[in-house]
Amino acid sequence: MPTSATNNRPEDLIVRLSSPENQTKFKALRELKNQIIGNRTKKLTYVKHGVVVPTVVNSLSSNDSSVVVQASAVIGSFACGVDDGVKAVLDAGAFSLLFGLVSHSDAKVVDAAARSLKMIYQSKLAPKYDFLSTEKMCFLISLLNSEGENLTGLGATIITHSCQINAEQKALCDAGILKKLLDLLEGSLTQRDASLEALAAVFRNNPDGNSVFVEADGGRAFRIVCELTKDKYPRTRLLASMCLIALWNTSPCHPRDVGLRTKLIHILLELLDDPGQVGDEAPFALSSLIVGKEDLQKLAFEADVIDKMSKLLKKDSLQAKRLQGIFLALADVCSKLEVCRAKFLSLEVLKLAAEALNHDCCEVRIAACMCLRSVSRSVKNLSAGVFMNELVMIPLIQLLNDASAAVQVAALSALSNVLVEFTMRKSTFLQYGGVKQLFHLSTSMDSTVRLNAIWSLKNLIFQAENQFKEGIFMELTPSTLWSLISDHEPAVQEQAICFVRNLVDGSVDSIEYIFSEEAIIFHAIVRQLRSASKSEVCIQGMYVLANVATGNEFHKEAVLQQLLPPVGSDDQSVLIKLLQSSDDRLRTATVWTVVNLTFPSSPGAYSRLLKLRNAGVYSQIKNMANDSCLDVKLRVRTALGQSIACVDNST
Amino acid sequence: MSIFWVVRQLAHIQESMATSKKVITKEEWEKKLKDVKIRKEDMNKLVMNFLVTEGYVDAAEKFRTESGTEPDIDLATIMDRMAVKKAVQCGNVEDAIEKVNDLNPEILDTNPQLFFHLQQQRMIELIRNGKIEEALEFAQEELAPRGEENQSFLEELERTVALLAFEDVSNCPVGELLDISQRLKTASEVNAAILTSQSHEKDPKLPSLLKMLIWAQNQLDEKAAYPRINDLTSAHLEDPAV
Repeated sequence: MPTSATNNRPEDLIVRLSSPENQTKFKALRELKNQIIGNRTKKLTYVKHGVVVPTVVNSLSSNDSSVVVQASAVIGSFACGVDDGVKAVLDAGAFSLLFGLVSHSDAKVVDAAARSLKMIYQSKLAPKYDFLSTEKMCFLISLLNSEGENLTGLGATIITHSCQINAEQKALCDAGILKKLLDLLEGSLTQRDASLEALAAVFRNNPDGNSVFVEADGGRAFRIVCELTKDKYPRTRLLASMCLIALWNTSPCHPRDVGLRTKLIHILLELLDDPGQVGDEAPFALSSLIVGKEDLQKLAFEADVIDKMSKLLKKDSLQAKRLQGIFLALADVCSKLEVCRAKFLSLEVLKLAAEALNHDCCEVRIAACMCLRSVSRSVKNLSAGVFMNELVMIPLIQLLNDASAAVQVAALSALSNVLVEFTMRKSTFLQYGGVKQLFHLSTSMDSTVRLNAIWSLKNLIFQAENQFKEGIFMELTPSTLWSLISDHEPAVQEQAICFVRNLVDGSVDSIEYIFSEEAIIFHAIVRQLRSASKSEVCIQGMYVLANVATGNEFHKEAVLQQLLPPVGSDDQSVLIKLLQSSDDRLRTATVWTVVNLTFPSSPGAYSRLLKLRNAGVYSQIKNMANDSCLDVKLRVRTALGQSIACVDNST
Repeated sequence: MSIFWVVRQLAHIQESMATSKKVITKEEWEKKLKDVKIRKEDMNKLVMNFLVTEGYVDAAEKFRTESGTEPDIDLATIMDRMAVKKAVQCGNVEDAIEKVNDLNPEILDTNPQLFFHLQQQRMIELIRNGKIEEALEFAQEELAPRGEENQSFLEELERTVALLAFEDVSNCPVGELLDISQRLKTASEVNAAILTSQSHEKDPKLPSLLKMLIWAQNQLDEKAAYPRINDLTSAHLEDPAV
């Protein structure tokens, strides 16, 4: 047996790497290569050594081809699967040197350099290739035209890595790259796989490219890709499926074959059984196929996706990547259809998802949260209190303290569904101690965290008892609520105002909250109504006023005073501006407020009616008698009917 | 592709037989077989494919000169592949790993399972040679980190380390790891990975063709009596059993 190279100290190896002797250098490089290939830990150790990677990169300029080949292989291995390695290699300037070597006279050097570049391009850290430069495009074409598998592979990998926006896709299509990639589909195994990946990158959100492809050669290329979804090699099946998914997600009608989609779901399910990388990636592909598409979620349900995945989850301890993918796919399947959620719960997957909330890997925790979010959209199970228990709540609340903001946001979005409880169990949540965290997160620096925290609080007080609402409101404090209403993010404003809408909904007593501390909240909302550009913010604000206008005379007068311009001013009233909004929902909410202000049985209704009339509100409302939106039309009728009743009452 | 063609012919025969359940005599059968045309070049390609995939370089070389059939892979790479396979079969695993890395550094970097199995084999060889301390050090240094990355590797590692716990390894529950068959298993895994990296099928086509033949005969058995091939080595047509 040859002597073990691992006995040598790294320091000795480093000295030999910088030897002036080509033979010594060659041996040292080869030794290093054999130590690090397949060995993540060793790669990281050498990267940390600092001098190693730059020394290897220096050897790329050697005059000895065999040294250059070894150095390229070492660099490729450092870049393979380890982001720190890619970074070290790029920092040491390997990128341009390797590109230079692709035009070397020695075929072995060319091969080795192309292979290393391919490795680097498989990382997100690799610099983007500039397809819009003519020179670079010519080089890419020469790569794809070449004989060597590593060169064509490099060309395809560059496209997979760097083709992101429409302009790049168009440039590639215009340069005839599509045709080259289609030729590669009929090449060797590796060429086929590389081409499928690159094609997916060219198809993503590119309707023009897609129709060119689907119609190419009378549909031949398309048929080849469909055929490849049934290939012997699992990786090829996966890549071909992903290629079709990219195509469909952009141009859903290409081709209209439902059977093909069902087949694809079955293919991806089968790939889940692959023990390697393919099995890890299959659930992500499935997720992208069905996300947001109810019809496909139904097909997935019929293909027993939930059954299969629950079996996998129960069978053995899965790797983080696969767990993440499976929970994501389950989240998508359960996002719209109640049958899917029922299946999910009946198979007791909820317990597994709750357990995954404690997983070491934050991507898994996020995926588990998304899964909970989808399942907790089930109104039936929400009101049955399926989620408000220790199993789900304790880990979920713990995640509110997670170090990762992305996890916090995912936990909050699951929580806000669970908190829409129609039953009396809301106080159970207080016992778990989650509210304090929600208050804390509603002042987070991260706007997404703030948004989701106030969203959860809003749902928490939805249709809750007065006493409960008061407790939450006082602890959140009017000043925090004020700053959330005045947040610079419109989405946060919207949810904060909606919180107030839920707060003042119900009894007259609850309306008083909005006038506490010199009515700062009331004024903040009115200010947003006057200035906000997003109609979603105004809609919520108007509903707050509509709710307040159901209160006593003082409440009604306060609303009216804010909506009409001060006497003697020439400003157009905000009320008229909002009545003229192009948003149906906003017009509905505004007319509704007018209806509540002029409710005939209340004592001051007639005087308010006069003020509104003088401000021109009623002539505007009359113009809306034939509004295109039925909701608006209905409220306008009520408003006009009430105005007649008011006049009758006053005489 | 020639194999599919042959099977399609069989399927044709089967189809036409499905309706008439009569017995087919040897004469009739041979007459039908005569109508099946298979190109000589296709047969040669099948043979070459077998020689190349299984790694019979010398035979492939001879067959090329005699039949003029070009192999679909560079013969020099077969030598390299065979050298790797042989090294594993002889227990020189480190040597094999270095050879694979010279051949294509991507293979072991992108195939963690194969890499683990080679390292595991390396440890088995150390134990076989009684280098216990070295084996332990190797397990700690090289194998344990891979076990941390993958649960199933950890289980295999535990099984391998268990070898150290027994005085008489040949009779212990995990003794099969020391078997020559374990070497052959690892060797064939490397062989397949190299072939795949060269975009070559990892199995020769001939055995699957024979499998298809048996499948087709089994299907046909249910519908007709005909001269069956029972002995694949002689391909002798038996008289139909009536």
